[in-house]
Parts: sequence; C-alpha cells; structure tokens
Amino acid sequence: MTPLLEQFLSEARDALQGIGERLIQLEETPDDPAVINELFRLVHTLKGNSGLFDFPEMTRVLHAGEDLLDAVREGRLSYSHALADQLLDAADFVGILCDEAELEGGVKASHGADAVRLAEALRALVSGPAASPEAAGGAGAPSDGRGGSSAPGAAAGQTELPLAAVPHAIRLDAWQRARDGEALHWLSYVPAADCFFQGDDPFFTARQVPGVLWGRVVVREPWPGLSELDAYRCALSFEVLAAGPVEELDSHFRYVADQVRVRAVDPGWLVASQEGAPPGATVTRAVASPGLLAEERVALESIFAAQRRILELDDHPPWERGRIEAVAGVLIHCCEATGDSTSRGAIEAALEQTLALGNCAPLLAWLDRRTVVAPEAALPTPAAKVASAAARPAKPEEGPRFGRRTEDQAGASHLKVDKVKVDRLMNLIGEMIVSKNALPYLAQRAEVQYGVRDLARELTAQYAVINRIAEEMQDAIMQVRMMPVSMVFQRFHRLVRDLSHKLGKEVQLVLEGEETEADKNIIESLADPLIHIVRNSLDHGLESSEVRLACGKPAAGVLTLRATHEADRVRIDVLDDGRGIDVGTLKRKARDKGLIDQATFDRMTDREALNLVFEAGLSTAAVVSDVSGRGVGMDVVRTAVEHLNGTVFLESEVGRGTRISITVPLSMAVTQVMIVESDGQLFGVPIDHVVETVRVPRAALRMIKHSQTTALRGRIVPLRALNDWLNIPAEPRVNEDDELAVLMVRVGREVLGLVLDEFRETVDVIQKPLSGVLAGLSAYSGSALLGDGSVLMVLDPKEIV
Amino acid sequence: MPIEFTEDRVECRDLVGVAEAEELLEWLQCWPAAQVDLLGCTHLHPATLQVLLAAGTRVAAWPEDASLRAWLETILKGAAKREEDDRDGEEHSPR
Repeated sequence: MTPLLEQFLSEARDALQGIGERLIQLEETPDDPAVINELFRLVHTLKGNSGLFDFPEMTRVLHAGEDLLDAVREGRLSYSHALADQLLDAADFVGILCDEAELEGGVKASHGADAVRLAEALRALVSGPAASPEAAGGAGAPSDGRGGSSAPGAAAGQTELPLAAVPHAIRLDAWQRARDGEALHWLSYVPAADCFFQGDDPFFTARQVPGVLWGRVVVREPWPGLSELDAYRCALSFEVLAAGPVEELDSHFRYVADQVRVRAVDPGWLVASQEGAPPGATVTRAVASPGLLAEERVALESIFAAQRRILELDDHPPWERGRIEAVAGVLIHCCEATGDSTSRGAIEAALEQTLALGNCAPLLAWLDRRTVVAPEAALPTPAAKVASAAARPAKPEEGPRFGRRTEDQAGASHLKVDKVKVDRLMNLIGEMIVSKNALPYLAQRAEVQYGVRDLARELTAQYAVINRIAEEMQDAIMQVRMMPVSMVFQRFHRLVRDLSHKLGKEVQLVLEGEETEADKNIIESLADPLIHIVRNSLDHGLESSEVRLACGKPAAGVLTLRATHEADRVRIDVLDDGRGIDVGTLKRKARDKGLIDQATFDRMTDREALNLVFEAGLSTAAVVSDVSGRGVGMDVVRTAVEHLNGTVFLESEVGRGTRISITVPLSMAVTQVMIVESDGQLFGVPIDHVVETVRVPRAALRMIKHSQTTALRGRIVPLRALNDWLNIPAEPRVNEDDELAVLMVRVGREVLGLVLDEFRETVDVIQKPLSGVLAGLSAYSGSALLGDGSVLMVLDPKEIV
Repeated sequence: MPIEFTEDRVECRDLVGVAEAEELLEWLQCWPAAQVDLLGCTHLHPATLQVLLAAGTRVAAWPEDASLRAWLETILKGAAKREEDDRDGEEHSPR
C-alpha cells in the first residue's frame, strides 16, 4: 500500500466518522447551518480525495452525496430521516470500500452496480422521484434505476433484445461459446450527451469491451440538418454482444457504470432469433435439449440416482434423520436449480411423512413419480430459467443494505494520537534515561563509601537491565515520531513544476531515498530551508535550455533531492547540474560588500569561499528576481539547519553543478554530550562537535600573534582556554607529565582546540533550553540534569569563534 | 493530419480524433455529396462518426481494420444503401 493510500484511508475513516456524527447531530438540530456546512465539507473533501485513486465507485456515491448536501445547504431541500438514512447507507458503503482497499489494495469493479444504485437513490432525493432518471445518468441514460451489472431481474426484458440483428455466423459462434460454459451478455451503452467534454470516447470503450463478439452503433434520434448539428453532443449509443464473465464487463465500464446496462443472454434466445419467430418454449427446447441440457440432464439423473441409493440403504445409523434431511435438501435444490420451483412443497411433504413414519417410502415415492415425468418436465424452459434467475435475490426491490453493525467494524490499524501525548512520553522516557544514570553513581557509593561490594555488583547488573529496557523504550517512542522525508519531498514536484515554468527552464526533478525517516520535528523544520535551496538552484543554478544546449548539456536540467542515513544522522543532498558557482566572483562580491577583508580574501581557500554563500547579504545572482536573489535565502538556511543541530555545506564546480548537503540528527530529543571539567566545574560538550581528545605538552604551545596554537599531526590548530572564554580567573591545570588536556572541537568546517582541566565520561542527556534571565547567555546551548541530580551546562562551541 | 480533404472526397487515416469533427462538419456542409475514404483509418471518434452519419456520407473505401469495418458496416453502409435504393427507385419508375 502506498503512503498516499494509507493516509487517504486514515483520513477517510475520520471523515466517515465525522459524517456519521454530524448526521446524528442533525437529527436533533435539523436546521443548524453550521452542522450542514461541516457535513458538506466532509463529504466534499472525501470525494475530492477519492478521485486520486482508482475508486470510481466511491467517487460516484460521494459525488451524489455532495450534490444532495449542496441542495440541503442551499435550502432547496430540507433534512429528513429518509435523507439521513440514505446518507448513512452511502457512508457505510464507502466504509466497506475503504476496508476492501485496505485489505486488497484496491476496490473491485463488482461494486459498480451498488454504487450506481446508491448514487441514484441519493439523486432521487435531490430532484424528487419523478425527475430522478434525468438526474441519474446525465441526459439520456438508462432510467430503469439499474445501470450496472446483471442486476436482479436483468434478464427479464430479453424479448426486447434485438438479437435478430446479429449475423447468423456470430450467433452460432456465441451459441457454441455458451455451450462451452461462457456467459453471454448484451450491453446497451448509452453515453451521456456531454461525455465528449469529459474526454470519453464511448466508441472506443465499446470496441474494447472484453470478449466482444459483435457490436453496433445506434443512432438515438433522427439527425437534424447539418447546420443545426452539434457534433460534440453525443447522439450515439452502442450495443454489444460479449462473451465472458460479467466481472470483466463491470470493470471495463466502471467509470461509466450508470450509462451501461448489462443483460445476460440465454443461448436459447440466440437460436430462437435465428428462427425469426418469437421464441416459444418448443423451439428452444427442441434446439437446446441435444446440447448443454443433455449433459445437465445426465448429471441431474446421476444425482437423483445417488439420492435414491441413499434412501434405499437399510443400515439405520443414529444419524439417519440427518441423512434423510440432507437428501431432501439436495432434491429441493436440484429442482430449484433447474427451474422447477413447484416440487419444493411436494418434497417437503414427503420428507415430513418420511420422518414421521420412520421409513423412506414417501421420499422414494416422490422420486418414482418424478422419474415418470422426467426428462421433459425437468428440462428448464428459458422462461423458467429466467424466472429462477430473477427470483434468486430475495427482495430485489429493496436492494442490498450496507448497514454495518458496530461490532463488524475492524479496529483501525492506525491510532491518531495528540502530538502532546507523544511529546509527554518523549519527556518521560528522557527523564527515565537520566534517572537510570543515577544507578552507577549509587553502585559506586555502595562500594566506595559503604564497602558493600556485592550490593554494588547487583546494582550494576540491575542497571544493565534497566538500561536495555529504557533504550528500547526510547527507540520505540522515537519510532512513533518518525516520518519519512517524502512528507517534505512531495511538495517539490509542484514547486519545481511551477517555478521552472515561470523561469522558462526545463527541469527534471529526481527524488531519491524518500523513505528515509527522521523525527517529525526535524522533517518539518527542514521544509523551509529545502525550499530556499531548491528555489536558489532553479533560479541561479540551472541554466535555460538554450544556454545548456550551447554548453553541450541536455536541454533539461536535473535537480536531485537525495536523502540518506548516515549513522544516527540524516543527510539530504540537493544537487543540480547547472552552471555552478564561480568562486572568484563570490569572493570579490564578499569583499566589496565588506563581509571579508582583503587579508581573508587572499588567504581563503576555494572551499571556504564557497561557503560564503551562507553569509547574510550575499547573493550570486546578478539580478534580483521574485524567485530569489536578494541574498537572504542562504543564511536563513544555515540558521535553520544549525538550529536543528545540523550542518550545511556547499560544493560547486563551475559548469558542472552545485551540491548542497545538509546533515541533521535523526532526533533532537536525546543529546550525547561529553563531560569536561574546568576549575572544578563540569560542562557538557555535544559529542557531535567533538573531534578528539588530546594531551598536549605545555612545551608544544606556540604563540602566533596573540593566540595560542599548537601543531597537531603537521597542522596548526588554534587553541582557546575554556576558562578564558567563560571568564573564569584560573589557569588550565596540567597533569603530572606537564600536559594540557585539549578537546578538539569542530565548528563549521574548522577545528579548534579547547584547553581545559580534565575529560570525563560521555552521557545521554535531555537538553533543555535556557530560559528566563539565563536565556541571554550565549555560551551555552542549554542545560541538562545529570544522574546524580546536578545540573550540567552544555556549551555551544559555535559561540567560541 | 488524420483527415485530408480533396475535391469530392475526405480521406481519414489512423486515429481520427475529436478535434476533427468540427472541421469535417463545416466541410461536409459545403460538399454534401462528398464521399469518405476510410481505408487507412483505425479508429473514428464518435463525434466524427456522428458527423458522417448525420451528413449521410457515402463510404468510398472501407477500413482495412476488420474490427472497425464490422462496426461501421452496420450503420454507415445502411445510409449509403438507402441513398442507392432511392436513386434506383427513381430510375425504375418512369412515371
């Protein structure tokens, strides 16, 4: 099942429930316009959505419902119980289709007849019973209230079938097919007069009928003069003789089910038509008995013979009564199946006698009598067959009901939960993770302070168990919040289409890794930055077709959005194969605008320079358009991504294209931080920023101008003392080997050494933003609670630079 | 172009769509006696077909496509034939 269908089904269920509730509400306040409006809106939305899928049956019924509610809304019709019943019935029908779509991924065309019937019933309410046929099928549709399949009683009007028009050879072929067990159907397809405007080609539809044996075009009315002729008003209908199962016909005509009438054709009628006389029983029987019916008769006789043998058994087992009842049942069904509905009474009477007397004589006597009459009387006449076909559904005039009992409804497989509840769970599991971190402290105290080693060991063992469960729990809750990036990617089809149209460029959008999942908040927050990037790529990155062709590239530019998992992060790449960014121009622009000074200008590598596009106030576009180019986009992107603890990086090659990569954490809920110590205080550093921990001998420190640096693996790394940064009046401590503890942190693309006193362990924490008076402190990204109850301030390394 | 007009004949080829109906109608109004050549035609949109029917256009060549021919013969031939019958009737009645 596609995510779209899944979403539709979930929404459809909600809407159906809403429809049910509003209808009940209307019972109490029938004139409340708000409720009626809401009801209309629900049906309208559901109808629109259903059109996205191949569910014409659902759309048809909802469309009729919408029209009905529109009439109520406009006061052309007042609310009534009958109306509510009909609408509830329709809602149940839609519910059934939804269930089917969920189980089987689609809706079977066999619902077509029901859909047509329901739609017509709804429309009948709009226009009153007299006018209903006109409204039912557009102009000129069959108005017998039964469009779709071989509905009950459909064969009754067979005498009117113009079978004589069918050429002899085709009738013979059809008859042969019927003998081989294929079903024959006669279709009258009367397309709506305005069907051409809906893009229908009814002639083509008629020609493509599965199993078509013969067909003809019928002119509905005499032609007007050519000058008055409206070529686009369909005045033709089609008649088709087809062999094959009715399901195939239903499915073929499912979009125009209300314009088609399918009737079963009895093979006998084909032959009768051949005689050119109204088909009488004698003709049919004479022709039909040597064929199919002979085989049937043999089968029938063998069934009757078997029943006789059973009745003649004299073993009298304890289940004899059940056996006799079964025999009677078989006899009744055989008779009814062959069109003999009068024997039922006789058989039932014989059965009663048999059971009363305790011997099988009465039933055997019935069998004897029947044998005398057979075979002629047992032969069904076409009329009898037709009658039995018509009689099978119990009460055809009522039609099937779609009322579903409450207990029938399968429990929804999806739960809609308030986001707040999930957030609460998330917070709770966060606290749980933090509190479980208290156990190791406790174990340590038990051992060190109280000297109970065994207890400490047990505590540690228990901690391992709780740790595992807590982590699984956290994982499970995270899964709840996970959403595929397709939620964001989907909107780009439209955006790219519209924008490229506006810009007069040809663009092919490629989406990859749409199923990649990340936390809902992350995905949602990515939407805006991605839109900025895509707009930029379309406007500045990709060239127009002429320019591209001149450069020897294909006319259509390719814009790729790719999402991948990278460990516990999601990476989203936006690639275009456009003109790329000219680093020289960019650097000059940045210098001219005063974003960098001349020294930086000279020193900057191309890689660094490229990422100047993320600086505020810099645009590479020569002109400002209404799409982009004001130089505000990219710094917004960087701010948004950094807000998500993500990074954004740009690579570009002139003439080849640009790639912008965003990496964001899968989830923002739990952060891993490394605890460091300086002047007796503990600080956290987000592990994402930590490159490595090194011990640098004090002798290896160099002063370059006013900054401390050191050489690490042949590279000069600037150093900064944490105490300095935080204004703590203390010197960094050294260990016994006269070495300083230096934490290498990455800030953007730069690496910087943070000099501190001591490294500690890494922990999972729930980071809370600083609030109140502390909110102004820029050095910290937040605070977290440690297992032992102390507060850990988490540093924001971005602020160091 | 799926339809082509010559002096007294319109030739339909391949798939004759809905757009051609209007043009055909206008043309047939000017040349009511024209005939239609359907030899290379594989499908006629019903809008076009009903123009031919309403105009009573005679078929000069039937489609090679057997299925289309079978469909059209039941209705187009009738129109052409009736015309022939009418003419025959005139010729054979000296009154």
